[in-house]
Amino acid sequence: MSSTAERALPAWPLRWRAELTGRFARWIRARQGVDVLPLRLERRRLYILPSRSGLAFCVLLLLMLLAGLNYGNSLALLLTFVLSGFMLVAMQQCHRNLLGLQLQSASAPPAFAGEPAALLLALGGEATARPRLAASLPGATAGSADLPAYQGATLAVPVPPQRRGVLRLSRVRLETRHPFGLFCCWTWLHAPFELLVYPAPHGSLPMPDSDLRPGTRRRGSGALEDEWLGLRPFRDGDSPRRVDWKAYAREAPLLVKEYEAAASDVRLFDFARVPLADPEARLSQLARWIVDAEQQGERYALRLPGRTLPAQRGPAHRHRCLAALARFDEAPG
Amino acid sequence: MSAAPDLRPRALAWSAAAFTGGVLLQADRLPLWATAVSLLAVAWRLAAERRRLWLPGTLQRALLALALAAVVLARFHTLNGLAAGTTLLMLMAALKLLETRGTRDERILVGAGLFLLLAACLDRQDLLRVPLYVAQTLLCCGALAGIAAPQLELLRALRLGGRALLLAVPLALVLFLFFPRFAGGFWAIPRGDAASTGLGDSMDPGSIMQLIANYDPAFRVRFHGAPPPRETLYWRGPVLHEFDGHAWRRGPERLRLRAPLEPLGAPVRYQVTLEPSQRRWWFALERPERAPAGRVFLTYDDQLVGTEPVAEPLSYEAVSYLRSRSPAPPPAQLREDLTPPPGNPRTRALAATLRERAPNDAALVAAALDYLRSGGFSYSLTPAPLSADAVDDLLFRTHEGFCGHYASAFVALMRAAQIPARVVTGYLGGEWNPIGSYLVVRQSDAHAWAEVWLAGSGWTRVDPTAVVAPERLHRGVLDLLPDAFPTRERLLHSPWLRALFAGWDAANSWWGTHVVKFSYEGQLDLLRRLGVRAPDAVDLGRAFIAGLLLWLLWLGLRITPRPRGVRPDALGRAYLRLCRALGRAGLTRAPHEGPLALAERCAIERPRLAPAVEGLLQRYAELRFGRGADDQAVRDFTRAVAQLSLGRWSGAFP
Repeated sequence: MSSTAERALPAWPLRWRAELTGRFARWIRARQGVDVLPLRLERRRLYILPSRSGLAFCVLLLLMLLAGLNYGNSLALLLTFVLSGFMLVAMQQCHRNLLGLQLQSASAPPAFAGEPAALLLALGGEATARPRLAASLPGATAGSADLPAYQGATLAVPVPPQRRGVLRLSRVRLETRHPFGLFCCWTWLHAPFELLVYPAPHGSLPMPDSDLRPGTRRRGSGALEDEWLGLRPFRDGDSPRRVDWKAYAREAPLLVKEYEAAASDVRLFDFARVPLADPEARLSQLARWIVDAEQQGERYALRLPGRTLPAQRGPAHRHRCLAALARFDEAPG
Repeated sequence: MSAAPDLRPRALAWSAAAFTGGVLLQADRLPLWATAVSLLAVAWRLAAERRRLWLPGTLQRALLALALAAVVLARFHTLNGLAAGTTLLMLMAALKLLETRGTRDERILVGAGLFLLLAACLDRQDLLRVPLYVAQTLLCCGALAGIAAPQLELLRALRLGGRALLLAVPLALVLFLFFPRFAGGFWAIPRGDAASTGLGDSMDPGSIMQLIANYDPAFRVRFHGAPPPRETLYWRGPVLHEFDGHAWRRGPERLRLRAPLEPLGAPVRYQVTLEPSQRRWWFALERPERAPAGRVFLTYDDQLVGTEPVAEPLSYEAVSYLRSRSPAPPPAQLREDLTPPPGNPRTRALAATLRERAPNDAALVAAALDYLRSGGFSYSLTPAPLSADAVDDLLFRTHEGFCGHYASAFVALMRAAQIPARVVTGYLGGEWNPIGSYLVVRQSDAHAWAEVWLAGSGWTRVDPTAVVAPERLHRGVLDLLPDAFPTRERLLHSPWLRALFAGWDAANSWWGTHVVKFSYEGQLDLLRRLGVRAPDAVDLGRAFIAGLLLWLLWLGLRITPRPRGVRPDALGRAYLRLCRALGRAGLTRAPHEGPLALAERCAIERPRLAPAVEGLLQRYAELRFGRGADDQAVRDFTRAVAQLSLGRWSGAFP
């Protein structure tokens, strides 16, 4: 919404603004130092200013004071004074809503490129309830949460869609406007938050054929016959086709039928052998195959220049492979 | 920050409620059509929210705004007055309601609600309205909470607002008492004309009758010392000189000074608090010593006339003499009060008869009073109507009337007998309020009496009504003739209700003098009573800042939680120190992570740190979970952690 307005402005105010913001950010970073989780928000790192409505309220109070003094009207003055006190109380309450807040941990579940992601802040656990907390990355929309007393809450900070790689979020703004929206109290969190961004699973090339090992039985149809292994509990990422729905209908927990189908055949996804020119396109194609293979319950191995992940399957393997794609070509750090 | 779409109507309802509260506060001040238009806009907006009705577009709203402004201008002939300005603001806010779209618009409407409340406070300060004002303040603050968090239930939002308001009350009191109040008047906004009440500058029998049926207080009096006996409490108001046969008038304003009095007794000192009457009369007992303030004159006929109509409650200190002798005025001035009544031949004849029999003026006055006492006259609030020769009619035909009739007739008779005489209107007596120790003088205590000029003693009060109905001196008219009044007034006079009203009146009077009329002088007086010698604005400022700081301290203690954790043992402290050092270097321990898991992760994510840290983390696991650590081992571990130097995470990623 503000970007269109900003685009209409000449360049120099924007540059000045960016310069000022940058300076301010560096100053705050130097002032506060690196944050170590878990942390408790202390006074010296909380900043508070009246919001726009708060400023308007101040103007209203000033007008009321002038009117009261002008008429020498005690009741109008009393009203002004009550509302001034109200404003100061609102300031204290707003500040208190962040003061002493415990930030237990932060985690960022990996996401695919081009999809919205989130940084999850685990908050709370003390005796005070803290309604209406919001957190945002610079220039992005805010996520909000209410923190009940004696309980933790997870505040998801929206991360706009990103490109493949490791996204480093060094600066998160945590703010509140509770209770009346007249003040905004905020703090900056500086910690080495990392978000792994997998390549977007794209590409329509067929999966490379699996290497058939000796001893694999072929049925008349030529299709591979899966070997029944057993049932295991459902995990995130399991294909719905493999859920034992009949068992579920009998009120059993959600179970997944495991086959040793891929036990015999292993697909090898080799970066060097993907017939595409652009390395990013190759990575996307590899990601597509990994996601599909995992969904079909196949075993797969991944070979990247200088690194090979042996054949396996399961969510952990999938993550390892996709993470390797994400970190592909990453400057060593 | 935007709330879920189904919560928006609740925020809208809050803003509509805050605005409606403001409109209702104005209902008896502003024209009815403006209130109706505003309420209609509220209803329209709320209905549109629910039923998706049509709402006016930008152009229509602009046209509506112009039309409404034109109507206000046509009705008030100005946009500047308090009433006109408030009306305009209310109508524009109503239009704003029709286009509310977001939080900002809704907050603007709450602001309008507060502004309407301010306008109401500026105009009306009765104690009776204070609960309404409090309710509106609470509603507006609750609305702010409700708009900021529409998911809150009604009571929860009100409680949030109410709690903040309660916490603000001590500060409000400090500010109220000590915020330096400079005398106002930065700019003048003309006020609307209010209807005037009380005694006018003319008197006919009907005008007094209207007042007698009015139970509102005219003024309150606090005596410094014992109050004089009730029958001497003649509160002097307009003095009337000109008679046209039916009504008495003050006549033209004359710029004449009053000569000093010759007192014949001790002065009575007292404080009068006038209720607003929109008239210029100030009231004092019988003969005031001097004008009590700069903006009031003491006229040659002993009346206090202000330079401006009394528009707000007003207090002044006065000194009066109940017995005094006034010096002789110039003969030309006395002659003005000799003009005989037109017509009324029988009265003239009676005067001539009295004049023949009486040896002097004093004897003539006594004879005339005798005539009234023995002539079969009676006191009545519903006398028979009088014809053109009103004095003749009263004296010789109807024989009944009340103070206005008798004062009028008596003065006419005196003038016909060549004695200078004038009618004095004012109030007689008053009701003692035992709770507040003051006297309430009500409009129903209105009275009229006569003054005659006697060569030896100057202007002398003669009350013909006291001769006809002596009990009027001791009791109010309502007690005297309850049947002449409608039921409401009679009910008011049952003893227990009277006690109740005395309490209410005392509360009102306290409110009026200590809150509504609290001023810069009152502030200095308060400081003086607190022990500050010769206080000024600077002392006020100091008191105000001290109070503010105390309140902030109290508020901080009141609402800030003090975190208290369990202090870990020496080993735990050393481990936490190690974790903090790791965190500074860019590796943060997750809450669920044990020392060994952390060491493993360190090897992967921050391999540079691993050689220094891994050993320590394993050592901690041994000490904590192993066979038990002796103090020496813990001390060694602590020292090792203290010597560790991991450097800092740069903040920027490589």
